[in-house]
Amino acid sequence: MARSLYRVWNHGRYLGTLSRPFSATTDALVETQVKPGEIGMVSGIPDEHLRRRVVIYSPARTATQQGSGKVGRWKINFMSTQKWENPLMGWTSTGDPYANVGDAALGFDSEEAAKSFAERHGWEYVVRKHHTPLLKVKSYADNFKFKGFPKTEGK
Amino acid sequence: MGLGLLASRVLRPQTNPRNLLLLRSIVTKPELQSPEASAAAAAPDPTSDLPPRTPVAGARVHFPNPDDAIEVFVDGYPVKIPKGMTVLQACEVAGVDIPRFCYHSRLSIAGNCRMCLVEVEKSPKPVASCAMPALPGMKIKTDTPVAKKAREGVMEFLLMNHPLDCPICDQGGECDLQDQSMAFGSDRGRFTEMKRSVVDKNLGPLVKTVMTRCIQCTRCVRFATEIAGVQDLGMLGRGSGEEIGTYVEKLMTSELSGNVIDICPVGALTSKPFAFKARNWELKGTESIDVTDAVGSNIRIDSRGPEVMRVVPRLNEDINEEWISDKTRFFYDGLKRQRLNDPMIRGADGLFKAVSWRDALAVVAEVIHQVKPEEIVGVAGKLSDAESMMALKDFLNKMGSNNVWCEGNGPTPNADLRSEYIMNTSISGLENADVFLLVGTQPRVEAAMVNARICKTVRASNAKVGYIGPPTDFNYDCEHLGTGPQTLVEIAEGRHPFFSTILNAKSPAIIVGAGIFERTDKDAIFSTVEAIAKKGNVVRPDWNGFNVLLLNAAQAAALDLGLVPESGNSLESAKFVYLMGSDDVNLDKLPKDAFVVYQGHHGDHGVYHANVILPAAAFTEKEGTYENTEGCAQQTLPAVPTVGDARDDWKIVRALSEVAGVRLPYDTIGAVRSRIRNVAPNLLNLDEREPATFGASLKPEGTQNVSSTPFKAAIENFYMTDPVTKASKIMAQCSALLLKK
Repeated sequence: MARSLYRVWNHGRYLGTLSRPFSATTDALVETQVKPGEIGMVSGIPDEHLRRRVVIYSPARTATQQGSGKVGRWKINFMSTQKWENPLMGWTSTGDPYANVGDAALGFDSEEAAKSFAERHGWEYVVRKHHTPLLKVKSYADNFKFKGFPKTEGK
Repeated sequence: MGLGLLASRVLRPQTNPRNLLLLRSIVTKPELQSPEASAAAAAPDPTSDLPPRTPVAGARVHFPNPDDAIEVFVDGYPVKIPKGMTVLQACEVAGVDIPRFCYHSRLSIAGNCRMCLVEVEKSPKPVASCAMPALPGMKIKTDTPVAKKAREGVMEFLLMNHPLDCPICDQGGECDLQDQSMAFGSDRGRFTEMKRSVVDKNLGPLVKTVMTRCIQCTRCVRFATEIAGVQDLGMLGRGSGEEIGTYVEKLMTSELSGNVIDICPVGALTSKPFAFKARNWELKGTESIDVTDAVGSNIRIDSRGPEVMRVVPRLNEDINEEWISDKTRFFYDGLKRQRLNDPMIRGADGLFKAVSWRDALAVVAEVIHQVKPEEIVGVAGKLSDAESMMALKDFLNKMGSNNVWCEGNGPTPNADLRSEYIMNTSISGLENADVFLLVGTQPRVEAAMVNARICKTVRASNAKVGYIGPPTDFNYDCEHLGTGPQTLVEIAEGRHPFFSTILNAKSPAIIVGAGIFERTDKDAIFSTVEAIAKKGNVVRPDWNGFNVLLLNAAQAAALDLGLVPESGNSLESAKFVYLMGSDDVNLDKLPKDAFVVYQGHHGDHGVYHANVILPAAAFTEKEGTYENTEGCAQQTLPAVPTVGDARDDWKIVRALSEVAGVRLPYDTIGAVRSRIRNVAPNLLNLDEREPATFGASLKPEGTQNVSSTPFKAAIENFYMTDPVTKASKIMAQCSALLLKK
């Protein structure tokens, strides 16, 4: 794979001017700053979903497991719990297209990424504090430390 | 890398730079450009090109003494850690998660599962990292073949006797053994004998046991002894006959027993009410706050569709660490029973009839205009959020009445000084105390998480605990000083031996129970406690040991918002009573012709008196601000849809105000919160504890005398304190089996 990538790059070098668009400069992006809410407007999302209140949070570690591979990601909670009943069949579902998006689809590496995503879509957001553990010195020898004389049962 | 490197090596003799450039792969770049230079730097600094590492789960490292930092190398990456930390902790600081079963960061170190083996340079054998102290300059290798092979060996032994019942195991999908066997397990077993089997134990209505699955990590034994403070669980037998048990058959009688479900790394201890109900990957987790007591434990509500399936704890070092009480964990089935789902009006025959919101609100608005303003009374319930209490107070004030209070705060609450009703030491601050004086409070039933902190402190530093109140059982050493306020007066006058204990303590903490709010001599008791605090130097600029332990989630916010009634006995002359989820207020003295509106989510005592019922949302279904006993405001988030035609509490009050012709000026929850900002801005400062500004020294001298009535227990049944827990079947089983009630 490295080889094929290299070839593309090499060809581009010989073509000279053509390699410009692939260069690392990002001037083109900087000029067109995205204003808050603009992405939402141009993406064809219905108006009522452009003004939503969302909560940005970082999911805590599952209490039942010790692994921390998934900790530190950021998610958006759309606070969508309303149910909608199909008038014909009586089936219940969510009437909200975002109902499962926050839990399943949107994940961010950092708080800032989540915030800027919410801003670009024009959502009003609150950020919840991410609670982190505090590592304190622990030692195996503490098990054998003198903790006072043993107390007799029943006192 | 393989092919590219090989190709470039074969082609190296060719001197044509064009060819070389074409075939060069990225990995061999420095070597090819200047072979002699790379040969000279035979051992390049491995740290220079490593990305910066962050501790596992964003952990903060506590340095007791900054000078005592040592440096160790984890996979070549240097980390600074405090002296005395273990190798496993050093790896965590370096961002390497070590597999483990027996090690738990909040329990003592056992070192018996051997899963955390790592390679340490100059050590002949792999080292159990959880028990080995890190030494300066130690070179720890976590991903070498030696470490991997060692862990594979351990895993093979663990799986030898572990049943292959993951498909029917409730831990499946969130099991440490399952996950780690994917990384270190073999695809076949070499063990051809029979697997051992162990008889299941009966630990009570909450914890289900499948003891054959147990891998003897002893986390549950250590949890019961160290955190819960009960000596119920232990290890019996040796070798393959080794098993966890209670020796004689008995139930686990701890208010924290549900946490052994979480800490069990396999499916040996699982939740009995949740057994076979759902798989964890079907559940939607909503991070919320618990409201069953005043601690405000951080929880995750796991729901499937419209149903709350379970409640699990969430890490918060300042409040609940990572534990929750059994009431918090298992009350959730009460959310499905006895719910009010339609507005109802009591007819002439005494029966309720379901009506539309329009009719119900019209009736209430009509009646409220027929009574005199001073005959209107509003009572907020135990589970009310700050938004709805704000709306209720604003509405009744607009109607001309100022008789609004929150139940549990007593007939004459004192909301003037915030330090008089919150826990000034903070829950985590209790760990620094060395003497506790509990006045009329039983933290074990009133706030189990606060009790766990006291228990932790007593275990860690042998802190002394003195208790004044009715006889009760504590799960730590406690000196019972007396039952009534007389003992308190004796201490304040220095006649009691415990006074010298407080005097000699470095950081004494006095905890006053909120049950005292209901007493008539409450002011006298508080001034006696303040006298002790003054003489014992309990409140200093660097230490505030004066605490009030509240009982209900709504209390602190209600006092912050100023829900203080004009007169203590307004119920006796009331003609219109608005109960907002209030079930425990004493309505015996209420005139028979009084009109009672009950707004709430459960049909409990309040409904028996009600003329009109307005169905509201429970805390799992709404967004609400709650302030806990230490003065930290937190918010719940909606996890499931509301039941039937119920609405959020503040919206009902807002709608009623419009029908009654005194429209409240807020339409959104944001607008309610800006109104709260004018009254109590600390309620919007989320997840941060807001300490009280002024101390009790500003209070005028009281003239009241203490009565000789002994203190009463504020809570009779730990498992049933509010309408939700009273409707819960699991809580009823717990009271029957564990409390024998």
